[in-house]
Amino acid sequence: MDQLQLGNHILSSRLILGTGKFSSTRAMLDAVRASGTQLVTIALRRFNREQAEDDLFGPLSHIEGLTLMPNTSGAATAREAIRAAHISRELSGSPFIKVEIHPNPQHLMPDPIETYEACRVLVSEGFLVMPYIPADPVLAKRLEDAGCVSVMPLGSAIGSGQGLSTAAMVSIIIRESRIPVIVDAGLRSPSEACAAMEMGCEAVLVNSAVAVARDPAAMAVAFARAVEAGRQARQAGIMPKYGAAVATSPLTSFLGNP
Amino acid sequence: MKRLPGWLSDEPLSADIAPLLEEGRIPLEQLAAEARDTTLRRFGRIVSLYAPLYLSNFCSSGCAYCGFASDRKTPRRALEPDEIDRELAAMRRLGIGDVLLLTGERTSTVGFGYLCRAVEVAARVMPRVTVEAFPMTVAEYRTLAECGCSGITIYQETYDPGRYGELHRWGPKRDFAERLETPERALLGGIKSVGVGALLGLSEPVAEALALARHVRHLCRTCWKAGISVSFPRIRPQEGGYQPAFPVDDRFLARMIFAFRIGFPDVDLVLSTRETPVFRDGMAGLGITRMSIASRTTVGGYHHAEDAGTTQFEVSDDRSAEEFCRALRAKEIEPVFKNWDPVFNGPTMQEGEA
Repeated sequence: MDQLQLGNHILSSRLILGTGKFSSTRAMLDAVRASGTQLVTIALRRFNREQAEDDLFGPLSHIEGLTLMPNTSGAATAREAIRAAHISRELSGSPFIKVEIHPNPQHLMPDPIETYEACRVLVSEGFLVMPYIPADPVLAKRLEDAGCVSVMPLGSAIGSGQGLSTAAMVSIIIRESRIPVIVDAGLRSPSEACAAMEMGCEAVLVNSAVAVARDPAAMAVAFARAVEAGRQARQAGIMPKYGAAVATSPLTSFLGNP
Repeated sequence: MKRLPGWLSDEPLSADIAPLLEEGRIPLEQLAAEARDTTLRRFGRIVSLYAPLYLSNFCSSGCAYCGFASDRKTPRRALEPDEIDRELAAMRRLGIGDVLLLTGERTSTVGFGYLCRAVEVAARVMPRVTVEAFPMTVAEYRTLAECGCSGITIYQETYDPGRYGELHRWGPKRDFAERLETPERALLGGIKSVGVGALLGLSEPVAEALALARHVRHLCRTCWKAGISVSFPRIRPQEGGYQPAFPVDDRFLARMIFAFRIGFPDVDLVLSTRETPVFRDGMAGLGITRMSIASRTTVGGYHHAEDAGTTQFEVSDDRSAEEFCRALRAKEIEPVFKNWDPVFNGPTMQEGEA
């Protein structure tokens, strides 16, 4: 069976969902359940142990078969991300940590230098580290060498809905990588998720596109199917693209007929 | 007086926002739709909540429009640490996880030391603590950040230096340029986010909006790690009876908020209980991403709501936290009480620090 391996964890769903931005916890849980996802990410800042109604962790932890991956969103430095990872592990018991370090709280672009530092430390502490990164092939390899279980390059800016604007760079990352490449951020529609999978991503992470849909549960299902279709197409072998047929070969006619 | 910074009158910086503010140029409905879509993409269907806690109404300034100005007959009071504890506990019972601590201008009773202690007390129980007090030095801001303050709010009140001079009759706040530089000092000191705004009603509103937009752009460019939020306070009735010289109506205020959302797609926009329930509910999701709830504008007032004394201004939305959240949920917007974690507290790291 075609499965996704992250560290020693095996998942059959290749759709990872973000849990923020939903109109209600109920809407978020419905989307998570409907999608069949087995891995979701939650920001530490949305853990609220003192107020059940405001807490995202509690209700998600009751869903069977679901692995929770805390993220460090809110951290601006490696030091903050590492502290956040420690507390997240204590609160959730999850071995996964999605390292998200954005020093600029407006555009939320990941800081490659701080991210690399945090990942090195967290890998050495036994976390299964999944960094959110700019679509930079060199950084991706550095993080693979550091021991991350996947890299998560951005398709475009968080919440921008601009799709795979980094496609050219992501395809280099995929070509070179020995760990799963997961596109994270910027996807707007299921067709874009499908395209990412056809390119060779091992999974995609979606949040805004599902959270702000009129019917988040239905959109989550649509994404799950698109991800499956894209994966299946990739496995089946996609027909290569050709240009128009050329009747004569003016550049190579000097070589004679084959 | 110090020379005013160039950015304050640099026209091209606000060229993209100016046309949006012009009445009749782009229909309000069209702006609202664009503001809603922009908000939805970047912030989703949530509004983050906070509540103010007035620590003290001692003040050394003579702001003509303020109920706590030093010439008001208002009895003066400052919360003791144990009272602050009780107020915060009452706020926690309402679910509040993000508190804005307020004081007047610095006095001998309520100065920097008092404020630091209050922040420390608050940071023990509140996930997020921010401060709206008096301008401080870079070193003081650093200490404040170390005590657990993650953001400050400092309104310029008016960006028109002439009007500013008329309205700030005495006290340390008279220095326009010094106040204008305060957000940068705070960010330099390691405070993570600053809230800016103009008190609408004091000066010609289009000019105020443009100056505020330039201020935001300037801060974004100068301090690239800064979290920036923009508030839109309108003058409310207050002890002292100041009447706004340039009243701002609901339609202009809405237009201004839409323009800021479109011009600054990823900046937090804040609306307080100065505004009416109808306006607040209407604007939620159309650009506004942070709102205050269950606000008391008296010193204290959460623990003993009834006998808390004079307010800084009258609130327009006096709904309970529960009632307000119900209204948001009816609009399919999730009220979020905790959207920060104390693990991220501490001064912003400057280049070269490890």
